[in-house]
Amino acid sequence: MSTLRLLTVGTLLHAKQISRSPFEIVIALVVPVVQATLAVYLFRSGGEQHRLLEAAVGAGVMGVWSSVLFGSGGAIQNQRWQGTLEMIMLAPRRPVLVVLPITIATGLTGTYALLATLIWGRLLYGIRLHFAHPVAFVVAAVVCVVALGMFGLLLAATFVLMRNANALANTLEYPVWLVSGMLVPITVLPVWTGPIAAVLPTTWGARALREATSGGPVWPSLAVCLAISLLCLALGAVALTHVERRARAAATLALA
Amino acid sequence: MTRPTIHPLGPALTGRCFPPVPPHRTSRSKGPIPMKTLRLMTIGGVIAYRALFNWTTPGMFVGTLLVGPLFQLLFFAYLGRQLQVADDRFYIVGNAVLTASLACVFGGTMAVANERRYGTLGHVLLSPRSRTAVFWGRVLPYAGNGLLIAVVTLGAGALLLGLRIPLSALPGLFLAMAAGSLACGFFGLTLGALGLRFRDVWVVSNVSVALLLLLTGVNVPASGLPGWMTAVGEWLPITHAAEAARRLAAGDGLAAAASPLGQELLVGAGYAVAAAVLLKIFEFESRRTASLDVL
Repeated sequence: MSTLRLLTVGTLLHAKQISRSPFEIVIALVVPVVQATLAVYLFRSGGEQHRLLEAAVGAGVMGVWSSVLFGSGGAIQNQRWQGTLEMIMLAPRRPVLVVLPITIATGLTGTYALLATLIWGRLLYGIRLHFAHPVAFVVAAVVCVVALGMFGLLLAATFVLMRNANALANTLEYPVWLVSGMLVPITVLPVWTGPIAAVLPTTWGARALREATSGGPVWPSLAVCLAISLLCLALGAVALTHVERRARAAATLALA
Repeated sequence: MTRPTIHPLGPALTGRCFPPVPPHRTSRSKGPIPMKTLRLMTIGGVIAYRALFNWTTPGMFVGTLLVGPLFQLLFFAYLGRQLQVADDRFYIVGNAVLTASLACVFGGTMAVANERRYGTLGHVLLSPRSRTAVFWGRVLPYAGNGLLIAVVTLGAGALLLGLRIPLSALPGLFLAMAAGSLACGFFGLTLGALGLRFRDVWVVSNVSVALLLLLTGVNVPASGLPGWMTAVGEWLPITHAAEAARRLAAGDGLAAAASPLGQELLVGAGYAVAAAVLLKIFEFESRRTASLDVL
């Protein structure tokens, strides 16, 4: 119970902190809306008007991923700049329990992107928010955010070691958008991207949301997304403990 | 004996407490001023690039500036293929030109914003030389960076997706990408100038880069965009460079690309002037309100 409380309070604390940053809010709201607009005009130009809702959802998921990706890297870097990384690591709980709320909070902030693209699409382009499975869509969105937060933990464990984690984040944005099939169907990509897509939780999360939007078996995709994310959580926890010990031994936590 | 004037705001903000600069060191001196200014722009630009772009390691450089943009190109090329909006040439050439914007817009912004962040902007503004030349010089390495990214992205994209480009088109393509990079660099410098006025200029840069994706017609043909978006795009960097590059890659020759190429250079020159004017105004205002280093 105390662990659950720690995670909940920690997530709320970090979500509030991120939400106080004009930069985070503007980026989470404006950039996905620009991408959604681009997607809408692209789909219209391609004669795919019936898939506009799918395009808006896809652009929203892209925003969630960006938020988790830059948030996970940025969160650790921010703790470092604020001089609070050592204090977090000194907390008498496992490192995973104090870092996971940060990464889930970044996913939570990413839901601004999903909401923004849907509201934008409805208000400006008259896209009818007619989901094939509305309840499943909401559940899928929540699970997707938590799952990406867990995936973010694995990234965060890597980012702790790097002084310029945001540079790595810059590299990973488009590849994951592409390979996960958020806007581009995986079927049109080269065959070798298939195995990579299969092990990314983003692929299954985006697929679950797409199926909830346009119809299809949502729950299997969601289950796979959650299973991969739990694996990421376990790997992230092990990596974080290892990284923390190594950084303490080498006295490089604040300098890494 | 001439005593240096000390401004009430303090020496760090004015620079007037320094002894008069010897005549041969000032921009008003006689002699080969253009050469000196050119030297200031190039050497000063390179030194500033090395100082402000300090996080770069080969791995980071390749990952952020070469791999990331290549995936951006692949993303839109595959999306375009799937939606059958336009052919591969449209996406590969257009996005290759656009990828320069990443380094140029952020670089141009960084040229001003990072000086402020690291607390060295006051020192730059103390310089007895033309700040316009100093900051224009800052753009050159970033434009070179953008050109490198565009060339590598075009080469890799064409190889991966099987696009054939006539050999005779390569010099023209290089010109188009150089014009686009330079225009983007000055566009970034204009945004960086806003950093003297606004607290968080990175918001503006991030949103601008996203808007370039939409408004330059690189990913959606102009016919598929509303008229006002196309009209705004006409005043943005990359729009005309991408158009010129597409004509060249189609084998139309330099004559066919001359008009959009000239328009791109005009847009770039416009942003260079805008950046210079904004820097002057905001520098004056920052001194007047003592807000130069207020973040």
